[in-house]
Amino acid sequence: MGIINLAPKILDPIPGGKYVVNAIDYVVNWARANSIWPLTYGTSCCAIEMMSSSMARYDIARFGSEVFRSSPRQADLFILAGTITRRMAPAIQMLWEQIPGPKYAIAMGACTISGGPFIYDNYSVVRGAQNLIPVDVFVPGCPPRPEALFHGLLTLREKILKETCRNPWQVGEPKDVSTMDRYREAAKTWAALEEMKDEEMAEARAKFKEENPDYKSSFKPIRIKKEDFPEVERVPFKRMGLTQSDIYAKLKEKFPAVTVHTHSEDPVEDVVAAMPADRPLEVMVTPEDYLPMVEFIKDEACLKMDYLIDIVGIDYDDHFDVVSQFRSMEHGHKLFLCLQLKKDFSIPEEQRATALLAHAPSISHLYPAAEFKEREVYDMFGIDFVGHPDQRRIFLDDDFVGYPLRKDFTHPEMIRRPV
Amino acid sequence: MTGMLPPGFRIQRETNTEEFFINMGPQHPSTHGALRLALRMDGETIVELVPHFGYIHRGMEKQAESMSYLQYIALSDRQDYLTAIQNNLGVVIALEKGMNIGVPEKAEYIRVMLQELGRIASHLVFFACFGGDLGGQTCLLYGFKEREMIHDILEEVTGSRLTTNFFRPGGSRYDVPDTFIPRVKAFLDHMDGTMKDYERFLSKNIIVLERSKGIGILSKEDAIAYGCSGPVLRASGVNFDVRRANPYSIYDSFDFEVPVTYNGDCYDRYTVRIAEIHESMKILRQCIDRFPTEGPWRSKEKPVRLPVGRYYSEIETAKGLYATYVVAATTGEKPYRIHTRGPSFPHIAALNKMVQGHKISDLVTILATLDPVIPEIDR
Repeated sequence: MGIINLAPKILDPIPGGKYVVNAIDYVVNWARANSIWPLTYGTSCCAIEMMSSSMARYDIARFGSEVFRSSPRQADLFILAGTITRRMAPAIQMLWEQIPGPKYAIAMGACTISGGPFIYDNYSVVRGAQNLIPVDVFVPGCPPRPEALFHGLLTLREKILKETCRNPWQVGEPKDVSTMDRYREAAKTWAALEEMKDEEMAEARAKFKEENPDYKSSFKPIRIKKEDFPEVERVPFKRMGLTQSDIYAKLKEKFPAVTVHTHSEDPVEDVVAAMPADRPLEVMVTPEDYLPMVEFIKDEACLKMDYLIDIVGIDYDDHFDVVSQFRSMEHGHKLFLCLQLKKDFSIPEEQRATALLAHAPSISHLYPAAEFKEREVYDMFGIDFVGHPDQRRIFLDDDFVGYPLRKDFTHPEMIRRPV
Repeated sequence: MTGMLPPGFRIQRETNTEEFFINMGPQHPSTHGALRLALRMDGETIVELVPHFGYIHRGMEKQAESMSYLQYIALSDRQDYLTAIQNNLGVVIALEKGMNIGVPEKAEYIRVMLQELGRIASHLVFFACFGGDLGGQTCLLYGFKEREMIHDILEEVTGSRLTTNFFRPGGSRYDVPDTFIPRVKAFLDHMDGTMKDYERFLSKNIIVLERSKGIGILSKEDAIAYGCSGPVLRASGVNFDVRRANPYSIYDSFDFEVPVTYNGDCYDRYTVRIAEIHESMKILRQCIDRFPTEGPWRSKEKPVRLPVGRYYSEIETAKGLYATYVVAATTGEKPYRIHTRGPSFPHIAALNKMVQGHKISDLVTILATLDPVIPEIDR
């Protein structure tokens, strides 16, 4: 910037100098507006559309922006492609500060404009990039098509062309505006406009009726015929490996305390036998039986559950369910172990939200896959896995307060979905 | 020494050399999104790697608790956006199990065809990024070229390029247009020629061979123990494909092979995916021959209300095993809890095992062949 911005000061006193200043403006803007180099940055879906727009079909090179730079120090444009989370926010601010001016930002997609699909009941998404950095152009869409991104790029170009030596580019300030406030304001304005339009229409209608009392409409609404579809019976997918009854019998033999959760009065054996072929057997396990049972199903030759699909936590009023899902690579059958953990209500009520309410044995020494899965359950539910080698939060920051997937979780930034 | 290590690192061996730490990400072109890797280096060699997630954790599972089941189908698009159409099916199958409704034959064919198109599209992005990460920018342009043809078909059928939100319990949102079958046929004919070009680019390229053969070996035992799935597992010599192991939809009526290789290195993961594109094309050709033009394209529309229970579905997306676990505590339109098991999460968990002893540039190759999508890990 420096020298060019001094041009008016030096050239204006000279006769005819302002024409030279205009020429300088023209040349500088021509160069600047036709070579906007974006930063290679993308977090989610929008990044793929951004990539598509730089490829052969859409060819962003037509607008001089094909040089995607991996280093912020060589970029002019920050295309915010993808949702911004609270954890990512400091990185984004740092990237913005590292880009040398004049620099511009395009907020691509609904997430970076307002939070998009992640507005309600969300504790981790920043609602709008303008809270973090000054944004020049907003491109709506979820995700926006490449054409929409180009429209944003051309809009930015127009903005750049308006800059002059006398009115140079200046770094903006992030606007800390709550999206919901703006949304409500917009909704109010919109409703007022609608009301005004309705009134105008009613007036026009009354006037028309007065002028043409004999008018009769020949308009008939067309109704699209609804197709009738047949009801189709569901055929369960093919079963592989042992049947649910066989697995249940095997487990019952070794661990008599094993049951299946059921609401019917029938004996458990009948309930298990009546299961559809493609429904995995899910058995209830006591915490004492859990570790021996996992060892048993892993080593037993006819079960051989060597593959851990996932570990899922579920929060109920007075207990947690931890469902470990296993499958056998060799045979193809699956088994879900549902471990019920009573919540520890001896902890004072005001501390419960941040306390580990239950303890479960870790199975990460048997299944390496369990290490990250257990960390996820710990992070989301606050269940302590005894014997876990590295129990830390995985998705959230270390100083995050509370465990989000508990039903009573509250967060100051969370907006409840209107019913 | 333990006190000096950042969180997550564990002492594994005694060393005399001075070690240092490198941070890679969360904004890094070759981490495929917002993944952060912390590396413990000994000179140029990676001693240990600790992945840090959560930079794109959007709290989808918390949100799902206040959403209806149908709304969650739209969220599943945004998990693994490269295979959005396949994620839709994963959720829908779980809902169908709960609602106990079936799918007519034509709808099944529509499903299978869109699944395979989605698989080819995802593998083409892999091809593009793998070539790009190795330094061959040409591959980027070529991979995305054919992908646009698939996007044209998807746009015509579903109305959207990327986030399709197409399948519904009992079928799909719309019938396919008349131009669907001719367009798929034209795409396949075009693809036959292009695949030869693709393989000429990379498969015998000396730079690719040098940089991917014997790099990032994942043994069969480790692949199973870490819960890997999809092409990563099959490249390690495990013949596991949900389409064969627990066939869903009408996959058991097609004639196709599950490509398996046995070295478990980067080159094998690449060849498995290329072979899978060929197999998908084989399935698509069979679909075109047998596609029923007449008949209903969905079953009778019913309100999506699931009875009390827990429902589980699993499908094979382009990346691997995608499982949905739905918990309905009350009969109604809203889930008590929905959990998604994405295939990329275990792959990144196994990354430390693969990169130890390699150089940083090899880490880029290994990460490219795992083909992770970070929003699906973080959800």
